[in-house]
Amino acid sequence: MTEFSKIKYLFFRGFKQATRPYAALAPELIIPLFFFLINSSAFQRLVDLPGFEYTTYLQFYAPVGLLTAIFVSSGSTGLEVVTDISTGYMDRLFLAPIKRWYIVFAKLAAVGLKSATLTSIMLIMFMLFGAQFNGGIIGLLFILLFAFIFAMAWAGIGLSLAFITKNPRVVQSAFIFFFPFSFITTAQLPLELLEGWYKIAVQLNPVTYILEGMRAILATGEIGQTVFVGLLVASGFAVITLSVATYAFRKSIVKQ
Amino acid sequence: MKLDDRLLKTHPCPCTSTRVNYNDRMGVQAIEVKNLTKVYSNDFKAVDDISFAVNEGEFFGFLGPNGAGKSTTMRVLSTLLKPTAGEITIAGFKLGPQDDEIRGSIGFAMQGVTLDDMASAWENLLLIGNLYGMTKQETQSRAGELLNILNLEKVADSWVKNYSGGMKRRLDLAAVLMHHPHILFLDEPTEGLDPAARRVIWDYLRDLNKQGTTMFLTTHFMQEADELCERLSIIDNGKIIITDTPANLKKEADGSLDDVFIHFTGHGIRDEDVSNKGVDPYVRS
Ligand SMILES: Nc1ncnc2c1ncn2[C@@H]1O[C@H](COP(=O)(O)OP(=O)(O)OP(=O)(O)O)[C@@H](O)[C@H]1O
Ligand SMILES: [Mg+2]
Repeated sequence: MTEFSKIKYLFFRGFKQATRPYAALAPELIIPLFFFLINSSAFQRLVDLPGFEYTTYLQFYAPVGLLTAIFVSSGSTGLEVVTDISTGYMDRLFLAPIKRWYIVFAKLAAVGLKSATLTSIMLIMFMLFGAQFNGGIIGLLFILLFAFIFAMAWAGIGLSLAFITKNPRVVQSAFIFFFPFSFITTAQLPLELLEGWYKIAVQLNPVTYILEGMRAILATGEIGQTVFVGLLVASGFAVITLSVATYAFRKSIVKQ
Repeated sequence: MKLDDRLLKTHPCPCTSTRVNYNDRMGVQAIEVKNLTKVYSNDFKAVDDISFAVNEGEFFGFLGPNGAGKSTTMRVLSTLLKPTAGEITIAGFKLGPQDDEIRGSIGFAMQGVTLDDMASAWENLLLIGNLYGMTKQETQSRAGELLNILNLEKVADSWVKNYSGGMKRRLDLAAVLMHHPHILFLDEPTEGLDPAARRVIWDYLRDLNKQGTTMFLTTHFMQEADELCERLSIIDNGKIIITDTPANLKKEADGSLDDVFIHFTGHGIRDEDVSNKGVDPYVRS
């Protein structure tokens, strides 16, 4: 019981850390909305392409906006942890009689919750701008699950760099991974309309399957194979990045 | 600020998971270090085969020039760094296999302040209390008590980043004292404090020591060492040069503790000063 309470307190602390200062939340709310509004207006004519099954590009692009929300809301985790390391606060936590994995575990759970919250806010915004959500309560829960899992997976990259380099600039630069992972997907066009090496690259990018899973929930509300494949890929992504992060944590942070 | 009587009441360690029955431990040395060596990953030998012991309830000082190895020693003794060699017992527990028990028994005010800047004093203290296994009630009353003693009640709800250096120092000490540690490691605890605030801390530390808390202090203020410490070790280049009472040391150097320090460590400013003062926080192996 007390052990659970320790994790709970670390979780609350991790959540507060991820949301303070409150002004820093502004870009995390604005960027996904910006991408969503700009792209859904700029590329509306794409719906006329033969084989494009959506009547509005806005509807097609909405899940990309949600994905962007997950990326940006979890992207600062590494930096937060580097701050804790460089201020010595991590040492303060290490001095407490707790298992050290509590610290990382609680932080990740907090990031997952933050991302799920931000993603639902975005979903509501997108619906206000005319996006359809056909998933109902179940669909919403699945979207939140996507956000929770993929946020932890993405945070795992920043965390790994934080534990390995302990350098804020390196950790910050991890955000460039956002571009290939989020752009080389079916974000702009459905897979059927892609060609050549690009199509192969898109198919190799795990984020494609995560995006398609979320897109299926928005479009049809059907929780079928696409959704489960998406969740499986997100979980696999998380297992990989978090294994690296755990390894780096044990290796470089835990006393040498 | 007058310290009140509440200070002088002894508190049992409330953390159930790490409770130590100190009555059974009478006569045990609080800190026992045998042949401690610490070589950093870059092959730098910061601590070179030192041995010493601190008695229960003793106020012990650890002096030495910049880069001598004081903080390194403290970080090893507090379980934050792994020793390269040596046998260490803290509060009767073996460093290594019994790290958890050691952590429950000690408090460590590290060099520099280690607080959550983006949280209030309350939030900082409540988290720490919880992590040490204290109940919510115990945590709240202890936090209130410490904030009162250290004169931080008025700012308890504002974020730490808005505090002055002295306020942060005091809150750091409060965080260290939350769980009534039996042994306190203090790495330059009054660095950056004005003379009045320094006095308050000294009085408080003395009182805690009177209640039975063992103190292990490093400082660059010779007056601080002179006023507080019963015994002093002087360490230089990772080796202990001498250990004795301040009175005996002063007799030997025929002067003040400043003279003692210079007598035993030489006059030169340390090279380490340069690399060590803007401490690169990203290289902490
Ligand atoms: N992480 C590290 N890696 C390599 N060398 C280190 C590391 N930390 C400290 N050192 C070196 O070990 C030596 C002892 O450092 P330490 O911090 O223990 O000194 P100190 O006695 O506390 O000095 P000060 O009075 O300046 O705080 C110094 O030469 C320092 O440069
Ligand atoms: Mg030091």
